[in-house]
Amino acid sequence: MKRRVEIGILYSRSGNYRLVSDACRKGALSAIAEVNADPEGTVEFTPVEFDPQGNADRYATGCAEILQNSGARHIVGCVTSWSRKEAIPVLERGGGTLWYACPYEGFETSDHVVYMHACPNQQILPLFGYVVPRFGANGFLLGSNYIWGWETNRVARDLIADAGGEVRGERYLPLGETDVARLIEEIRATRPDFILNNLIGSSSYAFLKAYARLAEQDDRFQPQRCPVVSCNLTECELEAIGEAGRGHLSVGPYFHEADAAGAATYRPQSSFEAAAHASVRVLAAILQDNPGAVWKDLPAAFAQRRFDTPFGSTVLDAQTQHATLPVVIGEIEGGSFRVLSRQKEVAPDPYLSRYDRAELFGKPRLRVVP
Amino acid sequence: MSRRARIPNLGGATAYVLHRPHPTVQTLVRQLSAIGLQAVDCWPELPPAALSADFVFFDADLGFDEQFPWQPGEAPMPLIALIGSEAPGRIEWALFAHRANSHLLKPVGAAGVYSSLLIARQNFEERRGLAARIESLQARVAERHVIVRAVAALARDSDYERGFAQLRSLAMSWQVTVETAAQRVVTMAQEEEESDGRHHA
Repeated sequence: MKRRVEIGILYSRSGNYRLVSDACRKGALSAIAEVNADPEGTVEFTPVEFDPQGNADRYATGCAEILQNSGARHIVGCVTSWSRKEAIPVLERGGGTLWYACPYEGFETSDHVVYMHACPNQQILPLFGYVVPRFGANGFLLGSNYIWGWETNRVARDLIADAGGEVRGERYLPLGETDVARLIEEIRATRPDFILNNLIGSSSYAFLKAYARLAEQDDRFQPQRCPVVSCNLTECELEAIGEAGRGHLSVGPYFHEADAAGAATYRPQSSFEAAAHASVRVLAAILQDNPGAVWKDLPAAFAQRRFDTPFGSTVLDAQTQHATLPVVIGEIEGGSFRVLSRQKEVAPDPYLSRYDRAELFGKPRLRVVP
Repeated sequence: MSRRARIPNLGGATAYVLHRPHPTVQTLVRQLSAIGLQAVDCWPELPPAALSADFVFFDADLGFDEQFPWQPGEAPMPLIALIGSEAPGRIEWALFAHRANSHLLKPVGAAGVYSSLLIARQNFEERRGLAARIESLQARVAERHVIVRAVAALARDSDYERGFAQLRSLAMSWQVTVETAAQRVVTMAQEEEESDGRHHA
């Protein structure tokens, strides 16, 4: 006889980052179905859903509602960092845990959040380590106007300085803005070596399409000379971008590879789906051992064990509650990514306290110190 | 090349937490470790090794002067006060006597630790920079009378403008400050006077 456990699902079914949200939700629900169908398992999840409709202010409300009106103490959800930061105080008051399945900008360790997707040393650092020696160190930084863009670009500015390059421009668009003509003109004028794209949802699709038109006019902006690189672009958005995405780069803990060796039965379509799926699987494994586990039991539950997830055999750091993850860099080719480089297990370093400039970019060039 | 101020990397830094055993200490030590610091808790006093720490957190509620291996206000690293009661006397002690560079309110949670480290370090370095500048300015102010004497010694026919210009060019050719050059000029003038005195004797 299985024990029924309620689990919160907090993903938007509409709004301009709906594709990402849907991918996460699909991963969570497929894992719930798997757990419920497992004859060996003792846990049966009942999802308690709340749809914030893409409105950042509705996530805290949704969190509070789930914690008040159900027995759920674990919620899989949130896409933007903005919504995650809004949810944390509610989780602290209600004794809840958020299982967060998206890459984020780091510099946070809440004991009410489990970070299942990549933090900066698992995305932007290795991405720059790959891009700078091949394309150059002069970057143009783009972002949607909220914390993910601001903070990721702040790290990027430091990295570009350390690599001896120059920030050719840094521009932000409001969430959902699709008028990118001015950005394109600035990029044409400043001729960077690469573009770091922290735009999200419809802004990002509009930009990539406009950039492809720029490349048609000027070969200098073909992806093999000046690629658009992202830390959060996955398969779930490729259809919305279409042919314009070809040749550009992204980094993530997972890309869907149809013919990968040792493929499990379930192969998520994107890292968002994989991370949400992993969240539910890890939670199920913990509840199997300790049926009443809540946020304060998690560090002990993470210590010295591995969990089966779509990322492989996964370790979670008990101190920071961030996952050790593979780091894969891929190039868009058709509707998927061609893998260019892969690191197997990169331990999380959310505060970049182990960052070493020489390790990432080699010895610095000599320069005059004033 | 001008260098933009940037958020320092705290990896590998050490922090001492001077507080009686308490859940707040556990939370703080855990958070410091998560940020990448080596955290050591201690009570009732700071061990000698704390002198080489990068940060010291101290309890503003139950703390007292004898816990610290330095005079109040002379800590060689940034200090962060852990404030619980907000009693004005305790804040006065932490802020005016020990000159805390930043603070954290108890009970300590996951939030606030990182910014308290950055604020404390920035405040400490700014204060140390200012103190060094003031010290050097004071030293130069103290040398005013030497400059006056040097200019007087160099000035011929009471042309003090020329005397001062000469002093500055001497300082430049010796590659020393105007104050040091003045000191040398005065010493040389004195020696000259003394030897003149001996000749006339």
